[in-house]
Amino acid sequence: MAHAQQGPQAVFDEANNLLAQGQINQAISQYQQLENQQKLAGALFLNLGIAYQRIDSLGKAKYYYLKSAKFPETREQAQEALKYVNTQFSHQSAVLPQLPWDRATRWLQDNIGETRLLAIGLILFNLGILLFIATWFFRELPGLIKPLSFSVLGLTVIIIAAAFYTRYVNNRYSTAVMVTQEAVVAERPLEEAALVSRAFEGYTFTVDHKRSKTQPKWSYVRMSNGLYGWIPSKEILVL
Amino acid sequence: MKRIGNFSCLITSVLSLLVIFSPQALAQTDVSVQATVSETTIYTGERIQLSIQISGSFNEVSRPSLPSFPDGFRLLSNTPSTSRSYRYINGQSSTSYSYNYQLIAQQKGEYQIPAVSVTIDGEQYATEPIQVSVVDRNESARSAGNQQPDIFLQLEVSDSQPVVGQQIISDVVLYFQDGLEVNSYQPVPGWKAEGFWKEELNNAERPEATSTIINGVRYRRARLLQFALFPTKEGSLEISPYKIIVSVRSAGRSRNDPFSSFFGNLSGNQRQVELQTDPLTLDVQSLPASENNSYFGAVGSFQISREISTKQASEGASIEITTRIRGTGNVPLISKPQYELPEGLEVYEPKETSNLNRNNERINGTKLFTDVVVARSPGDYTIPEQKVSYYDPDKGSYVSQALPALSFKVTPSPNQVASPAGNDAMPVRPVTGLASWTTPASVSLLSYWWFWAGLLVPLCLLVLAYRQKTYYNRMSNDRAFARSRKASETASERLDRAIALSEEGEIKQAYNLLQKAITGFIGDRLNLPEAGLSNEEYIKALDNENIDAELVKNIRMLLDKCASISYAPETTHEYLKSHVGLAESTLEKLKKVL
Repeated sequence: MAHAQQGPQAVFDEANNLLAQGQINQAISQYQQLENQQKLAGALFLNLGIAYQRIDSLGKAKYYYLKSAKFPETREQAQEALKYVNTQFSHQSAVLPQLPWDRATRWLQDNIGETRLLAIGLILFNLGILLFIATWFFRELPGLIKPLSFSVLGLTVIIIAAAFYTRYVNNRYSTAVMVTQEAVVAERPLEEAALVSRAFEGYTFTVDHKRSKTQPKWSYVRMSNGLYGWIPSKEILVL
Repeated sequence: MKRIGNFSCLITSVLSLLVIFSPQALAQTDVSVQATVSETTIYTGERIQLSIQISGSFNEVSRPSLPSFPDGFRLLSNTPSTSRSYRYINGQSSTSYSYNYQLIAQQKGEYQIPAVSVTIDGEQYATEPIQVSVVDRNESARSAGNQQPDIFLQLEVSDSQPVVGQQIISDVVLYFQDGLEVNSYQPVPGWKAEGFWKEELNNAERPEATSTIINGVRYRRARLLQFALFPTKEGSLEISPYKIIVSVRSAGRSRNDPFSSFFGNLSGNQRQVELQTDPLTLDVQSLPASENNSYFGAVGSFQISREISTKQASEGASIEITTRIRGTGNVPLISKPQYELPEGLEVYEPKETSNLNRNNERINGTKLFTDVVVARSPGDYTIPEQKVSYYDPDKGSYVSQALPALSFKVTPSPNQVASPAGNDAMPVRPVTGLASWTTPASVSLLSYWWFWAGLLVPLCLLVLAYRQKTYYNRMSNDRAFARSRKASETASERLDRAIALSEEGEIKQAYNLLQKAITGFIGDRLNLPEAGLSNEEYIKALDNENIDAELVKNIRMLLDKCASISYAPETTHEYLKSHVGLAESTLEKLKKVL
């Protein structure tokens, strides 16, 4: 209750002190308190990753490093930590390259963002409309202005559609990290279903939330090696 | 007394050992007594030879004590033909005795030649009983009417209903009639036994032909090859045909000599024949349900052990846990038992080695699994006791064995003492100080106000611009519309000019302009010709538009005033201004109704 009244920075500082003193579990508890209160920061996730790594929970460490990498201020450190922690796992998954379309969507998500994309689309839309109106009233304008306005409006449609599609993909699919030692990826969401593959701590998946909604205790995932299957939800943490 | 007693015990022990390990006693440990018959399927009236072979190191051996033979057989002579051989190799002597008896088959049927006992150095030994079939010659001759092949190949398995993982022996057997001589054979590569793990068994001995009768026809039978098969799944599994190429000769051999060697001389009428077995279907049974999940895929008879490479290791050093599975059965198919390892151990892919012995009919050997684990933090670790089970087909049940717990201690690595956090290799340090806090809010793109503003404002602009464009176009192209739109403006200008002329003293011209303002307004609004119309025609046009009579009356009055002012005496500026004011108000009213 005392912590609930403190600001997030005070709790964070206290957790950092505990981490420095080697009281790792207590530090994790405090960091997670902030996380539960939705007080988020790149530094919080980075420190959580480091704390989990110190207690040899490498799957969770990787999970928090991935979260930290989403914040510009800690992206570089998180990526370095990820590079390191990935070498510590006993099993490494084969990685199938993403399809070009998926890669493009991911790039838009990570580097531009749907909101910014939508804003760009709207600015271009306004510009296109103004250029088009201008052709009605200023007859001395070059003849290229009208086709240019149509091109700008066409581009606008593509950009706004890309913004909405990226948001849809972002909402439907999420990255998840395996945090237990070993689990089975099965063809169907049943214990006795045929095996698709075995997954080990640190493996990353793409979770399809739409399909997973049908099974409360299972998640439908795409593995890094391109295989699809069902994994018990308790084995993974979704970013 | 005590000392004497000890000495007596010592003497007694030495004497006992001398008796136990005397050459006789030692020699008797490797004595072998075997009974064989020359044929296991014969016609009535034919003879078979029963051989008792005794081999090993011994001093005295009695003549075999023959049992009473079954009714279908008669012993021709109690006096056997004997042979004896003596060998001395590497300081070890061995003797072989062979006693051969002739038996004649008297009646058809299935018989068992009972065990024969022999006394060797005072010890009683007995052979195994032997099954022999006696076939009626006449019945066989009648049933052998249909054509029988003179040579064929057959796959014979030891069990047609094995369980998954159980070893079965598959013999490739050649049958050929008397009168044919087999010189050589060559297996055709590419034999597949889908659904089975197969291992060819080593068989250094030359194939020996024995005689047998099939459907009334006497064949000679020789086992050419032998395989160990392990079914890997349950259900009906088919073994595909096995092919060999046989070189045979069809003349120049004693037809009734079943004891002659399998391979003959390369002479006479020689030919090469490709033979193949019929496909063979086995009904593989599933394993019974295991009580717990300790079964790890082994079927047979095994001894399982587990050991650890060290009891103490430093942090980060690798520790090997070796699991050794030794025995007879599906050694190649065994998977590693799964262990519950304590937290904090990093596990690497296990190494797997196996050593197989294919010299006996049953595959045996050893399989080793080596788990490599690395402890990431110091402390005491215990891998708990583990129960493992394998299936024993001879017993028809699972056999469980407990592997003892393994404990080891991990000490801090000397290289990491300097770093209390133990994260020297970790390239990133915790972030301290002020953090940039955010509260995530996942909102729909449609909920942004600027999205709607950015979308609707240009659309509204577009609509307005379109209306303006349309207006301009009409003003340019539709003269009546343009006159109508400009009527008020033109009339207002004329009235202003009329006042200006009046101020300059040009009263009559001012009234003239006032008339033009009124008629021009009516003409522009009603799209009448701009010139050539009388005042009455303007009034009439207004009447046609159903304009208020009072308004028309005012206009008539104004127009009359303008027309009559030329003939009137001089009027004042003020008088004109009052008429202009009246005209303005009248035109304003007229604008609303036209």
